[in-house]
Amino acid sequence: MSERPPPAFTPAQAAARWFAAVLGAAIAMLIAIGTFNWWVDPFQHFRMAERYPPRYYRLLHRFVVPGIVRNAPYDTLLTGSSIVENTRNSTIGTACGGTGLNAAMPGLAGYEQGLVLRTAFATHALKRAIVVVDFAGYNWAPEGRHPLSGPLPAYLYDANPFNDAPYLLSWGVLVKSWRIVRGDTSESFRTDADAPWWWADEKRFGRSEVVRGLDPLDLNRQFPQAPLKPDLMRRSFDHNLLPLMVAHPETEFDVVWPPYSIVVWGDYVQRHQLDASLAFKRYVQAATRDLPNARIVDLQPDAAVTHDLDNYTDLYHFSPAINEWMIGEACGDRHRIRSAADVDASERDIRAQAGAFDPAGLSPPR
Amino acid sequence: MLFNSYDYLLWFLPATLVGFFALGARPRLAQAWLTLASLVFYGWWDWRYLPLVLGSIGVNFAIALALQRRPSRPLLTAGIALNLGLLGVFKYADFFLANAARLSGGAPQMLHIVLPLGISFFTFTQIAYLVDVHRRRAQEPVFGNYALFVTFFPHLLAGPILHHSEMMPQFAERSNKRPQAANLASGLFLLAIGLVKKVLIADTFAPIADAGFGAAGTLSAPAAWIAVLAYTMQIYFDFSGYTDMALGAARMFNIRMPLNFDSPYRSIDIREFWHRWHITLSRFLREYLYIPLGGNRRGEARTATNLLATFVLGGLWHGAAWSFVVWGALHGVALVVCRLWARRGVPLPRPVAWAVTFLFVSIAWTFFRAASLDDAIAMLRAMAGLNGVAATATGSWLGGIATSLASSETFPRALALAPAVAGLLVVFLRANSNAMVARFRPTLANGVLVVLALPVCVLQLARVTPFLYFNF
Repeated sequence: MSERPPPAFTPAQAAARWFAAVLGAAIAMLIAIGTFNWWVDPFQHFRMAERYPPRYYRLLHRFVVPGIVRNAPYDTLLTGSSIVENTRNSTIGTACGGTGLNAAMPGLAGYEQGLVLRTAFATHALKRAIVVVDFAGYNWAPEGRHPLSGPLPAYLYDANPFNDAPYLLSWGVLVKSWRIVRGDTSESFRTDADAPWWWADEKRFGRSEVVRGLDPLDLNRQFPQAPLKPDLMRRSFDHNLLPLMVAHPETEFDVVWPPYSIVVWGDYVQRHQLDASLAFKRYVQAATRDLPNARIVDLQPDAAVTHDLDNYTDLYHFSPAINEWMIGEACGDRHRIRSAADVDASERDIRAQAGAFDPAGLSPPR
Repeated sequence: MLFNSYDYLLWFLPATLVGFFALGARPRLAQAWLTLASLVFYGWWDWRYLPLVLGSIGVNFAIALALQRRPSRPLLTAGIALNLGLLGVFKYADFFLANAARLSGGAPQMLHIVLPLGISFFTFTQIAYLVDVHRRRAQEPVFGNYALFVTFFPHLLAGPILHHSEMMPQFAERSNKRPQAANLASGLFLLAIGLVKKVLIADTFAPIADAGFGAAGTLSAPAAWIAVLAYTMQIYFDFSGYTDMALGAARMFNIRMPLNFDSPYRSIDIREFWHRWHITLSRFLREYLYIPLGGNRRGEARTATNLLATFVLGGLWHGAAWSFVVWGALHGVALVVCRLWARRGVPLPRPVAWAVTFLFVSIAWTFFRAASLDDAIAMLRAMAGLNGVAATATGSWLGGIATSLASSETFPRALALAPAVAGLLVVFLRANSNAMVARFRPTLANGVLVVLALPVCVLQLARVTPFLYFNF
């Protein structure tokens, strides 16, 4: 009978070798994946895309915007919700003089607007910040966000290189890196760096679009919005925007009240939200009146725009032409609110228009 | 800090292990390092709660010292009251205020105190210690040892709930301060199993359960059942996965913590379920509540009352809401019924007993998961078919969930449901993690499994989730 050879390793040695090999292999895989994601950098977190055409992923603004805000060259930043997505960077540059960047995000909350601005100030000397303020965006707690916005990848908004693991070691990012390397274009994205978030080509603008599905007796039903809470709105503004205006006197801030369609004001009348919305505007004027770098641009009473529903695709979203007009008015120093008297006049005007607006006249198609 | 986080897996655990064993030649320093690391682990969430946990440890240690010198029932009572008071303020204040206001008809003046992580666990651990000291079953004269016993990070946030006597001898053992390859290997293996359970399986069931419980009032009966069964799986894999990660990490430090789960969904009656589910909580409730109340020594009626009281309080321990009270009460009633049935001496056929137990546990989870009693009742109504039983409605509901799952790119789409299927096999057919780690060998097959599992799970920790409010 042959004698069994002695085991090559003691149990402890075998376990030690197993542990070292397994841990080493797992770490090596993670390093390889992290390096690959760093090299491709699909969200342009480390650098603007150069090795491939940039990909501005549909509905992933919260992942891509921080990268371009940190890395793109610009001195004028536009921040707002989906209503400003149809604005080209070049339009901003032309209207305002300088280099523009559109950092729009759909469903933007006041907290996110502040975060985008803080990210910009951390990396750029801003000449101008055009801040388009939505009532709904500030209708959250100071650090609240729309629940459907998904988790906020906060690690992409700072300059801390030690918290980038969720980006470098993410399956979702790995899939995007792989698709980029393979040239796979099966997912939805834009490559136009001048108009990264543009969606106007996919929509039609016109009165018929606006009134489609609109219930004259319940104008809010099409885009259900929560009741405005003035206290929350003030706190959010004080927490997210005002401190930045105070801290950056070298930057001109244009706080823009966007030209919603008259239907929105009709909705506010129906839901008794007129006082709350106008009170917020009054508050913002009072809070910024002593800041020489803050300018309020109020496009909401402009009946020539807001009553012409052909400018819109729904109650809130206007056409690229109106976007361009809005930026031009902001940088052209027009439609300015300079005093409490201007606020009074604007408010009177809006109340009169809203009061005279008859939803029954919308006559939606049957 | 959570076990399923980049911070924990990529630097905290490795750095703590390396530091601990590097200081192994000086046991006190190694122990201090582990305590410090555990406090960093706790404070990572919000450092402002560190004084709370340190204060709680300091006060309990002082009371225990006094009890060690001279057992005193009033002092023990004061100690327990202090701990329960802390829990009452931080966990139950708003619950009590809301109910008081409801009774008085006034407006509730809520405190909105943020619940400190793990407070239920470190409070119960210390209550048990005080009682054990009073009973002369434990004593600890060194503050550092006691602080480590309470804060040891693998059990600090979600248990197991430990006995002093099962931990301190291990902390005191000098050889445990040196790396032991067998424990490192089997600990890593167990940690990987836990990570797979939590990240790949529980998190796959979660969107289905969330979608269902978020719309309970509108669900058809099949959809409601799918949501409830998904939650039944989610909570098991979530909690037992977390426990496996805890036990695995502890094992890497040469510390064996007690089992907390043992295939509970294979139970054939509710008593067996509570011997397999959250075992250390059952042990705590039995030793420190049920038995002191009289246990089963004072007749059937008193036994039933004790069981009900124990489980109602056990329910309330899980959360400050009436839905948790109802959940606990349901289990209490079920245990009473189970006792009465057992006395008849006519056991149910095994498959029937299993089905009855599993269905009861699943239905009871409705109260555990629902945001309120009203939501739980809405879900039960949906399960009963009061919203209809239409297959088409169920199909479109499931389709919506599938679209949502696919859009977040968590897995290759073809594999999206594989973890769920694997999970079901594990629950009902395969060896559980306790058995797997007990017979662990450093083989190539186990190595390949862990090498694949660790990176795949880490890659799932952060998700690229699109903005879901498609209509702007």
